[in-house]
Amino acid sequence: MSPRVTAIVLALLAIGLTVAQDVAPARDWYHSWQYIALLALAIVVMAGYAWSARSGADGAAGRKLALAMVGAIAVAVTGLLSGLIGPDTVTVVGTPGTVAPVPDLGVAAFFPAVDAASLARGDSIVTLRRRGADPLDVGTQPTPIGLSVAFTQLRPAAYVAARDTHGNHLTVTQPNNPSFLSPVMLFRQQQQIRDKTFPMDTFATPAMHRIARILYFSAADLAAFRHGLSGAGNQAGAVLSIADDAGNSRGLTIAASGMPVTVADLDLTITLGMYPVLVIASAPQPAVMAGGIVLFVLACVWSLLRGKTPAAAGTGRVDAQPVT
Amino acid sequence: MLAGAPAVSFDVPRVGGGSDSLAAHRGSIVLMNFWATWCPPCKEEMPALEQLYREYRGRGLVILGIDQGESAATAGAFAREHGVTFPILVDEDQNYASSYVSVGLPTSVIVGRDGHVVRGIDGAQTLDQFRAAVGPLLAAK
Repeated sequence: MSPRVTAIVLALLAIGLTVAQDVAPARDWYHSWQYIALLALAIVVMAGYAWSARSGADGAAGRKLALAMVGAIAVAVTGLLSGLIGPDTVTVVGTPGTVAPVPDLGVAAFFPAVDAASLARGDSIVTLRRRGADPLDVGTQPTPIGLSVAFTQLRPAAYVAARDTHGNHLTVTQPNNPSFLSPVMLFRQQQQIRDKTFPMDTFATPAMHRIARILYFSAADLAAFRHGLSGAGNQAGAVLSIADDAGNSRGLTIAASGMPVTVADLDLTITLGMYPVLVIASAPQPAVMAGGIVLFVLACVWSLLRGKTPAAAGTGRVDAQPVT
Repeated sequence: MLAGAPAVSFDVPRVGGGSDSLAAHRGSIVLMNFWATWCPPCKEEMPALEQLYREYRGRGLVILGIDQGESAATAGAFAREHGVTFPILVDEDQNYASSYVSVGLPTSVIVGRDGHVVRGIDGAQTLDQFRAAVGPLLAAK
């Protein structure tokens, strides 16, 4: 492989590796020594080629490609710096209806309040607010913010509606979570059953002296059990284990999403859905990356166009007079 | 609780009929009290809140007792039994308490005339503590 081809291949590789940080952010690999080493190697080879090509060692086309290498090196350097010294990925879990400060970005993240229906739809978005700036809605697509990208990941959640046997609505609390008075379970814990791990959470109904452990079963997990739920279809479900204040078990049941179940003197309706967490990951400097890519592409095109002139054919020189 | 932050508001049913919200009282000093009928400290605190309401409503204090997660029938029966005359709101979705990151019941949140949170108070308060919290705000024009 000639030095020119090697440099171009490595330039494309470096650009691809850097752009990947924006397209598929928050991967640990971007902070690994292998990723850093690949970009560093590409930078060294590209710089070596550009240095020799600028003095004419690879002809006039090489001189143009040296400019393209400058663009690719800029992209690779910003990708390398992001991977090398960029902050680790941060995941912000917010209770519905609350505001969480995000010091890394200098913003406050507003997690929307939800009811059972909106949780089931799973279409909640997080809004970032900064003093003096317009609010910014963040969804599952990466959104550049300074030297970071922000996006949301949808995770399993459940809205718990509890009533006593007379139909009176009951307060739901979460004694083990910071969101003490939220009826929305975010499954911050996990429980292993045999070789599988299930999202888990805990809630209480103090008026009835009941404590419930709730496990989230995906549709596939639920289908693996012969649960005999009518109307469950291929939906996710929840396994509920109820105890009293003294820790005595008072019942165990499986609830399909949105279907009421009665257990341990409680009428429970568990609506399963998705709720976003906010993920913030380091990202390459967007202006440098965009400028570098534009420079690389234009210089490559320029070198190809000039290289097609008849004067250059067979001489290896492209700095001849233009065709008239 | 975010003192100084804009106070969020939700429209919820009011015991006795209709609906109400924090936002409907913008321009007044509002004391929101998150409570529930099963909560013993909430029950102990109610007489102090009622007395505070009787003393200060003429000076513009609004008290909203916001029941968390219970039915209007449950909250209404409790209010009648304990002679509560200030507005009782029923927040079945518990949006108020979760949004203000209430770590227990009762929790009180004082909101200024500008609609921003002045302070949050965890746990039951005495009448004197409530007076000390809202008195200076009512005096300031």
